Amino acid sequence: MQQGGFKRKSKAAMDIPTSSLADMAFLLLIFFMVSTTFPSERPRRMTYPSAEATEKLDAPRKDVLHLYLERDGRVFINDASVMMEEVNNVVGPLYAENRALIVQIRADEDVAYSYVDAIQKELQQANAVRVTFYTNLERRITRERR
Amino acid sequence: MSMMRRRKKVSDEIPTASMADIAFLLLIFFLTTTVFDEEKGLSIVLPEAAETIEVSQKNILHLVIQENGVIRVKRGESPQEQMVQASEIASIWRLDVAQNENLIAAVKTAPNAPYRLMIDVLDALQSAGANKISLQILE
Repeated sequence: MQQGGFKRKSKAAMDIPTSSLADMAFLLLIFFMVSTTFPSERPRRMTYPSAEATEKLDAPRKDVLHLYLERDGRVFINDASVMMEEVNNVVGPLYAENRALIVQIRADEDVAYSYVDAIQKELQQANAVRVTFYTNLERRITRERR
Repeated sequence: MSMMRRRKKVSDEIPTASMADIAFLLLIFFLTTTVFDEEKGLSIVLPEAAETIEVSQKNILHLVIQENGVIRVKRGESPQEQMVQASEIASIWRLDVAQNENLIAAVKTAPNAPYRLMIDVLDALQSAGANKISLQILE
Protein backbone atom coordinates (compact mmCIF):
# COMPACT_ATOMS: atom_id res chain seq x y z
CA MET A 1 0.00 0.00 0.00
CA GLN A 2 1.46 3.34 -0.98
CA GLN A 3 1.65 5.79 1.94
CA GLY A 4 3.03 8.66 -0.03
CA GLY A 5 6.63 8.01 0.82
CA PHE A 6 9.19 7.52 -1.88
CA LYS A 7 9.41 4.00 -2.88
CA ARG A 8 12.04 4.35 -5.51
CA LYS A 9 15.53 5.38 -4.53
CA SER A 10 16.61 8.43 -6.43
CA LYS A 11 19.17 7.59 -9.06
CA ALA A 12 20.66 11.13 -9.26
CA ALA A 13 23.74 11.77 -7.13
CA MET A 14 23.07 13.87 -4.05
CA ASP A 15 26.60 15.13 -3.49
CA ILE A 16 27.58 18.71 -4.16
CA PRO A 17 30.05 18.54 -7.03
CA THR A 18 33.51 19.24 -5.65
CA SER A 19 35.27 19.22 -8.96
CA SER A 20 35.65 23.01 -8.93
CA LEU A 21 37.34 23.01 -5.54
CA ALA A 22 40.78 22.84 -7.08
CA ASP A 23 39.91 25.70 -9.44
CA MET A 24 38.89 27.91 -6.54
CA ALA A 25 42.00 27.04 -4.60
CA PHE A 26 44.24 27.85 -7.54
CA LEU A 27 42.46 31.13 -8.17
CA LEU A 28 43.04 32.23 -4.59
CA LEU A 29 46.63 31.11 -4.77
CA ILE A 30 47.27 33.00 -7.99
CA PHE A 31 45.66 36.10 -6.50
CA PHE A 32 48.02 36.04 -3.52
CA MET A 33 51.05 35.26 -5.62
CA VAL A 34 50.35 38.19 -7.91
CA SER A 35 49.52 40.69 -5.20
CA THR A 36 52.33 39.91 -2.79
CA THR A 37 55.11 42.46 -2.80
CA PHE A 38 58.43 41.72 -1.23
CA PRO A 39 60.23 44.58 0.53
CA SER A 40 63.37 45.56 -1.28
CA GLU A 41 65.40 45.84 1.92
CA ARG A 42 66.48 43.09 4.19
CA PRO A 43 64.66 42.99 7.51
CA ARG A 44 66.81 44.16 10.39
CA ARG A 45 66.68 42.97 13.93
CA MET A 46 66.32 46.02 16.17
CA THR A 47 64.41 46.86 19.27
CA TYR A 48 62.23 49.81 18.49
CA PRO A 49 60.79 52.04 21.21
CA SER A 50 57.08 51.90 21.96
CA ALA A 51 54.80 54.87 22.01
CA GLU A 52 51.10 55.27 22.65
CA ALA A 53 50.72 58.09 20.17
CA THR A 54 51.93 55.86 17.32
CA GLU A 55 49.90 56.54 14.22
CA LYS A 56 49.83 54.97 10.80
CA LEU A 57 51.44 56.99 8.08
CA ASP A 58 49.04 58.01 5.35
CA ALA A 59 51.73 58.32 2.74
CA PRO A 60 52.05 55.78 -0.06
CA ARG A 61 54.89 53.33 0.28
CA LYS A 62 57.08 54.98 -2.33
CA ASP A 63 57.08 58.26 -0.44
CA VAL A 64 58.62 56.77 2.69
CA LEU A 65 62.38 56.39 3.04
CA HIS A 66 63.60 54.05 5.74
CA LEU A 67 66.65 55.25 7.59
CA TYR A 68 68.04 52.67 9.99
CA LEU A 69 70.11 53.80 12.96
CA GLU A 70 71.71 50.99 14.89
CA ARG A 71 72.73 51.10 18.48
CA ASP A 72 76.38 51.78 17.69
CA GLY A 73 75.45 54.74 15.54
CA ARG A 74 75.75 53.20 12.10
CA VAL A 75 73.30 54.51 9.55
CA PHE A 76 71.80 52.37 6.80
CA ILE A 77 69.74 53.68 3.92
CA ASN A 78 68.47 51.23 1.27
CA ASP A 79 70.70 48.51 2.66
CA ALA A 80 73.87 50.57 2.21
CA SER A 81 75.90 51.80 5.13
CA VAL A 82 76.13 55.58 5.10
CA MET A 83 78.52 57.72 7.13
CA MET A 84 76.78 60.27 9.31
CA GLU A 85 78.24 63.17 7.35
CA GLU A 86 77.05 61.68 4.06
CA VAL A 87 73.40 61.38 5.05
CA ASN A 88 72.80 64.86 3.70
CA ASN A 89 74.30 63.88 0.33
CA VAL A 90 72.30 60.68 0.13
CA VAL A 91 68.94 62.09 1.13
CA GLY A 92 69.30 65.37 -0.76
CA PRO A 93 68.90 63.93 -4.28
CA LEU A 94 66.12 61.61 -3.12
CA TYR A 95 64.21 64.57 -1.71
CA ALA A 96 64.84 66.60 -4.87
CA GLU A 97 63.18 63.83 -6.91
CA ASN A 98 60.24 63.44 -4.59
CA ARG A 99 59.17 66.51 -2.66
CA ALA A 100 56.62 64.50 -0.74
CA LEU A 101 59.32 62.30 0.75
CA ILE A 102 58.97 61.39 4.40
CA VAL A 103 62.04 60.07 6.15
CA GLN A 104 61.18 57.39 8.66
CA ILE A 105 63.92 57.15 11.27
CA ARG A 106 64.07 53.59 12.54
CA ALA A 107 66.43 53.88 15.44
CA ASP A 108 67.21 51.34 18.10
CA GLU A 109 65.69 52.41 21.37
CA ASP A 110 68.99 52.52 23.25
CA VAL A 111 71.05 54.48 20.76
CA ALA A 112 72.60 57.63 22.21
CA TYR A 113 70.54 60.70 21.39
CA SER A 114 73.55 62.49 19.92
CA TYR A 115 73.30 60.25 16.84
CA VAL A 116 69.61 61.03 16.44
CA ASP A 117 70.35 64.72 16.73
CA ALA A 118 73.10 64.43 14.11
CA ILE A 119 70.64 62.71 11.75
CA GLN A 120 68.12 65.48 12.29
CA LYS A 121 70.71 68.14 11.45
CA GLU A 122 71.73 66.27 8.29
CA LEU A 123 68.10 65.98 7.22
CA GLN A 124 67.54 69.66 7.85
CA GLN A 125 70.48 70.46 5.58
CA ALA A 126 69.00 68.23 2.90
CA ASN A 127 65.66 70.02 3.40
CA ALA A 128 63.89 66.74 4.05
CA VAL A 129 62.01 68.06 7.06
CA ARG A 130 59.04 65.69 7.19
CA VAL A 131 60.27 63.11 9.62
CA THR A 132 58.66 60.20 11.42
CA PHE A 133 60.21 58.32 14.32
CA TYR A 134 59.33 54.66 13.90
CA THR A 135 57.73 53.23 17.05
CA ASN A 136 55.69 50.22 18.02
CA LEU A 137 52.22 50.85 19.33
CA GLU A 138 52.21 50.64 23.08
CA ARG A 139 48.90 49.81 24.60
CA ARG A 140 48.59 50.65 28.22
CA ILE A 141 46.16 48.17 29.62
CA THR A 142 45.92 49.68 33.06
CA ARG A 143 45.76 53.41 33.38
CA GLU A 144 47.56 54.95 36.28
CA ARG A 145 45.09 56.43 38.68
CA ARG A 146 46.20 59.52 40.53
CA MET B 1 41.84 -13.57 -28.39
CA SER B 2 41.16 -13.38 -24.75
CA MET B 3 43.29 -10.25 -24.56
CA MET B 4 41.11 -8.33 -26.99
CA ARG B 5 37.88 -9.17 -25.27
CA ARG B 6 38.91 -8.15 -21.81
CA ARG B 7 38.70 -4.38 -21.43
CA LYS B 8 41.09 -2.65 -19.21
CA LYS B 9 39.37 -2.14 -15.91
CA VAL B 10 42.15 -0.06 -14.40
CA SER B 11 42.22 3.58 -15.43
CA ASP B 12 45.53 4.93 -16.73
CA GLU B 13 45.03 8.54 -15.63
CA ILE B 14 46.96 10.13 -12.79
CA PRO B 15 44.51 10.66 -9.95
CA THR B 16 43.96 14.38 -9.48
CA ALA B 17 41.97 14.11 -6.30
CA SER B 18 44.80 15.52 -4.20
CA MET B 19 45.24 18.62 -6.35
CA ALA B 20 42.95 20.65 -4.15
CA ASP B 21 44.86 19.53 -1.08
CA ILE B 22 48.15 20.70 -2.50
CA ALA B 23 46.65 24.00 -3.57
CA PHE B 24 45.27 24.63 -0.10
CA LEU B 25 48.55 23.68 1.50
CA LEU B 26 50.44 26.22 -0.62
CA LEU B 27 47.79 28.83 0.10
CA ILE B 28 47.96 28.29 3.82
CA PHE B 29 51.75 28.46 3.68
CA PHE B 30 51.65 31.89 2.02
CA LEU B 31 48.91 33.13 4.30
CA THR B 32 50.87 32.30 7.40
CA THR B 33 54.25 33.51 6.23
CA THR B 34 53.20 36.87 4.85
CA VAL B 35 54.19 39.76 7.07
CA PHE B 36 52.93 43.24 6.53
CA ASP B 37 55.39 45.99 7.28
CA GLU B 38 53.42 48.85 8.66
CA GLU B 39 54.45 52.41 8.18
CA LYS B 40 53.79 53.97 11.52
CA GLY B 41 55.43 56.11 14.13
CA LEU B 42 55.49 59.57 15.62
CA SER B 43 55.56 62.28 13.00
CA ILE B 44 57.13 65.65 13.32
CA VAL B 45 58.18 68.41 10.95
CA LEU B 46 61.68 69.67 11.56
CA PRO B 47 62.41 73.35 11.16
CA GLU B 48 64.41 74.23 8.06
CA ALA B 49 68.13 74.64 8.49
CA ALA B 50 68.24 78.42 8.30
CA GLU B 51 65.10 79.07 10.30
CA THR B 52 65.37 80.56 13.70
CA ILE B 53 62.21 82.06 15.05
CA GLU B 54 62.18 84.47 17.93
CA VAL B 55 59.83 83.32 20.62
CA SER B 56 59.19 85.05 23.88
CA GLN B 57 60.24 83.09 26.94
CA LYS B 58 56.78 83.00 28.43
CA ASN B 59 55.57 80.84 25.56
CA ILE B 60 58.19 78.17 26.12
CA LEU B 61 57.99 75.12 28.35
CA HIS B 62 61.51 73.71 28.74
CA LEU B 63 61.80 69.96 29.17
CA VAL B 64 65.37 68.86 29.78
CA ILE B 65 65.84 65.11 29.52
CA GLN B 66 68.80 63.89 31.53
CA GLU B 67 70.64 60.62 31.12
CA ASN B 68 68.99 59.04 34.14
CA GLY B 69 65.53 59.59 32.73
CA VAL B 70 64.49 62.36 35.08
CA ILE B 71 63.12 65.38 33.26
CA ARG B 72 63.70 68.94 34.44
CA VAL B 73 60.70 71.08 33.71
CA LYS B 74 61.24 74.83 33.58
CA ARG B 75 58.57 77.27 32.66
CA GLY B 76 59.72 80.14 30.43
CA GLU B 77 60.30 82.88 32.89
CA SER B 78 60.44 81.44 36.35
CA PRO B 79 63.79 80.02 37.47
CA GLN B 80 62.30 77.19 39.47
CA GLU B 81 62.63 73.68 38.12
CA GLN B 82 60.51 70.62 38.67
CA MET B 83 61.90 67.10 38.43
CA VAL B 84 59.37 64.77 36.89
CA GLN B 85 59.01 61.41 35.19
CA ALA B 86 57.93 61.04 31.59
CA SER B 87 54.49 59.83 32.66
CA GLU B 88 53.67 63.18 34.24
CA ILE B 89 54.50 65.22 31.14
CA ALA B 90 51.09 64.75 29.54
CA SER B 91 49.21 66.25 32.48
CA ILE B 92 51.74 69.06 32.92
CA TRP B 93 51.32 69.95 29.25
CA ARG B 94 47.55 69.93 29.44
CA LEU B 95 47.53 72.22 32.45
CA ASP B 96 50.01 74.65 30.96
CA VAL B 97 48.52 74.83 27.48
CA ALA B 98 45.11 75.54 29.00
CA GLN B 99 46.58 78.76 30.35
CA ASN B 100 48.63 79.65 27.28
CA GLU B 101 47.52 78.29 23.95
CA ASN B 102 50.67 79.52 22.19
CA LEU B 103 52.84 77.31 24.33
CA ILE B 104 55.79 75.61 22.66
CA ALA B 105 57.47 72.57 24.15
CA ALA B 106 61.26 72.77 23.89
CA VAL B 107 62.61 69.26 24.42
CA LYS B 108 66.35 69.23 25.08
CA THR B 109 67.92 65.80 25.41
CA ALA B 110 71.32 65.02 26.89
CA PRO B 111 73.71 63.64 24.22
CA ASN B 112 74.28 60.33 25.99
CA ALA B 113 70.69 59.77 27.00
CA PRO B 114 69.06 56.75 25.31
CA TYR B 115 66.78 57.63 22.42
CA ARG B 116 63.76 56.04 24.04
CA LEU B 117 63.67 58.72 26.72
CA MET B 118 63.10 61.34 24.03
CA ILE B 119 60.45 59.11 22.45
CA ASP B 120 58.68 58.75 25.79
CA VAL B 121 58.51 62.52 26.18
CA LEU B 122 57.50 63.07 22.54
CA ASP B 123 54.87 60.37 22.96
CA ALA B 124 53.49 62.03 26.10
CA LEU B 125 53.36 65.42 24.40
CA GLN B 126 51.66 64.13 21.25
CA SER B 127 49.19 62.08 23.31
CA ALA B 128 48.30 65.26 25.14
CA GLY B 129 47.70 66.97 21.82
CA ALA B 130 50.79 69.14 21.55
CA ASN B 131 51.75 70.10 18.04
CA LYS B 132 54.35 72.80 18.66
CA ILE B 133 57.33 70.76 19.68
CA SER B 134 60.98 71.59 19.24
CA LEU B 135 63.59 68.84 19.49
CA GLN B 136 67.07 69.92 20.49
CA ILE B 137 70.21 68.51 21.97
CA LEU B 138 71.46 69.61 25.35
CA GLU B 139 74.72 71.45 24.87
